[in-house]
Amino acid sequence: MDLFTKVCSTWLAIIAILAVVGPFLPLPDPREADFAAPGVKPFSPGHLLGTDSNGYDLLSNVVNGTRVSLMISLVSVLVGGLIGSSIGIISAYVRGRFDGIVSTLFNIILSIPNLVLGLSLVAVLATSPDPSIPVSSNRRIFVIMLSLTFVIIPILGRIARGATLAWVNREFVVAARSMGMRDKDIIFKHIVPNVLPAIYSVGFLAIGVVIVAEGSLSLLGVGVVDGVSWGAMIARVAGEFTYLPHSMYVPVTVLALSVIACNQVGDHLRSRLDLREGKI
Amino acid sequence: MTALLSIKDLVVRFRTPRGLLEAVRGVNLDIPAGASVGIVGESGSGKTVMSRAAMGLLSGSNVERSGSVMFDGHELSSLDSVQVREYFGTGMAMIFQDPMTALNPVRRIGTQISEGLRVRLGMSKKDAMKRSAELLAKVRIPDPEAVLRKFPYQLSGGMRQRVMIATAIACNPKLLFADEPTTALDVTVQAQILNLLADLRKDLGMSMVLVTHDLGVVANNTDFVAVMYAGEIVEMAPTTELFANMKMPYTEALLKSIPKIDAPTEKRLPVIEGRLPNPTDRPDGCGFASRCSYAQDKCRQDRPELEDAGNGHLYRCWYPLGSTIARKSS
Amino acid sequence: MLRQLGQAVVVVIGSTLFLSLLLRLLPVGLAEIYAGGFDEASRAARLKELRLDKDPVTFYLLWLRDFVAGDFGPIVSPGGGTTPVADKVGSALPISLQLMFYVQVVALVVSVPLGIYTAYRSGKRSDKAISYGLFTASSIPNFVFGLLLAVFFGVTLAWLPPLGYVSPGENLVEHFRTMILPVASLAIPLIATYTRLLRADVIATLREDYVTMAVSKGLSNKRILFSHVLRPSSVTLFTSFALNMGALMGGTLVIEQLFTIPGLGSEIGIAIFSRQFFALQSYVAILAVGFVLFNTLADIAVGFVDPRTRERRRA
Repeated sequence: MDLFTKVCSTWLAIIAILAVVGPFLPLPDPREADFAAPGVKPFSPGHLLGTDSNGYDLLSNVVNGTRVSLMISLVSVLVGGLIGSSIGIISAYVRGRFDGIVSTLFNIILSIPNLVLGLSLVAVLATSPDPSIPVSSNRRIFVIMLSLTFVIIPILGRIARGATLAWVNREFVVAARSMGMRDKDIIFKHIVPNVLPAIYSVGFLAIGVVIVAEGSLSLLGVGVVDGVSWGAMIARVAGEFTYLPHSMYVPVTVLALSVIACNQVGDHLRSRLDLREGKI
Repeated sequence: MTALLSIKDLVVRFRTPRGLLEAVRGVNLDIPAGASVGIVGESGSGKTVMSRAAMGLLSGSNVERSGSVMFDGHELSSLDSVQVREYFGTGMAMIFQDPMTALNPVRRIGTQISEGLRVRLGMSKKDAMKRSAELLAKVRIPDPEAVLRKFPYQLSGGMRQRVMIATAIACNPKLLFADEPTTALDVTVQAQILNLLADLRKDLGMSMVLVTHDLGVVANNTDFVAVMYAGEIVEMAPTTELFANMKMPYTEALLKSIPKIDAPTEKRLPVIEGRLPNPTDRPDGCGFASRCSYAQDKCRQDRPELEDAGNGHLYRCWYPLGSTIARKSS
Repeated sequence: MLRQLGQAVVVVIGSTLFLSLLLRLLPVGLAEIYAGGFDEASRAARLKELRLDKDPVTFYLLWLRDFVAGDFGPIVSPGGGTTPVADKVGSALPISLQLMFYVQVVALVVSVPLGIYTAYRSGKRSDKAISYGLFTASSIPNFVFGLLLAVFFGVTLAWLPPLGYVSPGENLVEHFRTMILPVASLAIPLIATYTRLLRADVIATLREDYVTMAVSKGLSNKRILFSHVLRPSSVTLFTSFALNMGALMGGTLVIEQLFTIPGLGSEIGIAIFSRQFFALQSYVAILAVGFVLFNTLADIAVGFVDPRTRERRRA
């Protein structure tokens, strides 16, 4: 692992830890506005990274927001990846009409551009009957996770299917079958270990994508609207950053660094996989 | 008479993460005009690297090359990879081992053959295509007009190899490097290709350097043979002289390892035990010592120099075949 | 080719059906949303007008029939009555298409030479520096570029207008000036992606035996590049171009709202905010159809460039 990859992995570890211990750190409440200090710059007393125009502490919001943003990303990719990969692997193993149907279904969902699909799902599922009563924050988070999981399923499903197709015709699988091994065992002992590296390298890239998606959805107005997340932060300060740029730099930097880190780790895993396969 | 191609003290080294890799260490070889020279060696002996380095096809930031290569009176080793191309096509040409990968899969045969004619000889597209069809006929491909429009994947292995030969000789080169031209082909097709090369040679007055691991291939198709091992020439002689008076235990072992059709079927195929020495860390002494059935202590300590046995026969061994020690140990 | 078009049609019908069912099977009924405030008497009439009295499948089929005829459904006014979505599409779609077209053109124009340049100089310092820069650029989300560019060039330096849109018909110069920042925000990550892709492809192609053979024929580097290297290397670029249309559509959603450009992306935002789900369905369907069309065209183009794929498909 070269230095850059090491740095990126460390960063990911840091934000993972922050996600867990965030609420226990001695930081001001992210939802409590400090009316005495609106729009102060970083390194002001009591506000290490400053506040936005409403007085919300930026450091606290970013640290606490990590929990929600990471949770959304990890859950979507893990659950979506699990479901998608399982379907993809089984589909490629079984072949025949089942595979044809699954493949077409994946293509159908994939034919709607990712963000557009996510946006539609969230918009539709997070609507409240009465426009004056907004949907609760937790419900929104749940809906966002559900929608993004749904978007991820065919993405990782197609990767898993493609990777499985490459392996399922190899001789050692045919040999295993001829020895009387059961399909279930063949899949778990032979196919999955070979397909897994491809899946989790794309998985890391997907985490980065979902983090950005959460930010985009918030900017579009359907994200975690009044909650504490990176996307919510960016959406809140989007209007005022022309005169208060630091309020935007904070969440944007953290988000961008996290996405870069995810991409680098995913890339690194993919090149390790290529080496294994004998490509250079 | 001066040789067409004269290689002196050619050394080729690669800078790798694992150290400096010596692929060719000091090769001297003269190729006369119109002659056919065989270069024989196992994989890793340096024969391919040497032929590519001699022609000037070896490029890369990690390549170190020294020594002199004179072609037709011109010194090539001082030219960079772009300048040396003046001699390609019309002076020197190469055919490669695998015709499937050496032909561009997304371009038609006709385009690939006529390219050299148009760029090197300045022919018009129409003339070049006509000449390409003639070349295809010359390499004995049936229905040349139709083949011009085909793609490589539509032809059989033997046909693709003939196409590659046609492409290489298109501009009438004086010297043809043939790098394992038959290795990727069926045995039945091998003989056809070798015969074709021999006929073309006579027809065009071309010299040929035939690089192969198979002694059988050089037996009937070369004027003299150089045997390479671990980056250097260990035996060199006119072909008939080599087979009649083999001096190197290595050459003998190579010959013995060719399967014979009339050998008893229960006996194991003779092989040369062991492997080539690590090219980044060669041991002292003779490189073949660890695998040689006649090896003595001297072999493992001192590196033998090239000796002349007369008759144009050179060898590099302390105890060549026919000397007293060898006879005792065999 | 016929088979690919057939596939495309299946996919389009599948995705539009999915959207339609999604709307109808909402947790909160559309009936509630659009007819909730009506009294008993006019409610039934309202539902009939919006076709919400029909079952989901019939609803979809009727929608499909109208969609292919160019009728994109109603914008529901809360008090009663409707206005056609098609009007909005007519004014907004061309603007979004302009944006996407500019982005792809700029991205290709920059990334093709850059990709080839870095491939030929691979391993050298210039290549390494550029590669790191590209990697960072491809990881930064487009809205970050949008925000940063808008602040820097639109406010701090005030060279370009940070918001708004001027159509080419009104004022060509202003049109381009308003488009520069949004196009740049979307193009920079795309340039990074394309360049890295092309670079990897060209490096791989340069290692092929047939390139060595071409050198041995005495051809110049320039000739080898155009005659032997570009064609095989461009295959993945075609496919990526088409796939990135999807990401681009998502990107225009955000960028249009950020820079207040009245394209389809902004209309989608408005539709969501004002709960116009019929309009939303049609907008998304348009995007899906466009995406599938692009990918099908790209598939066909790949077949032309690489004859082996053509053969494989026929088999």
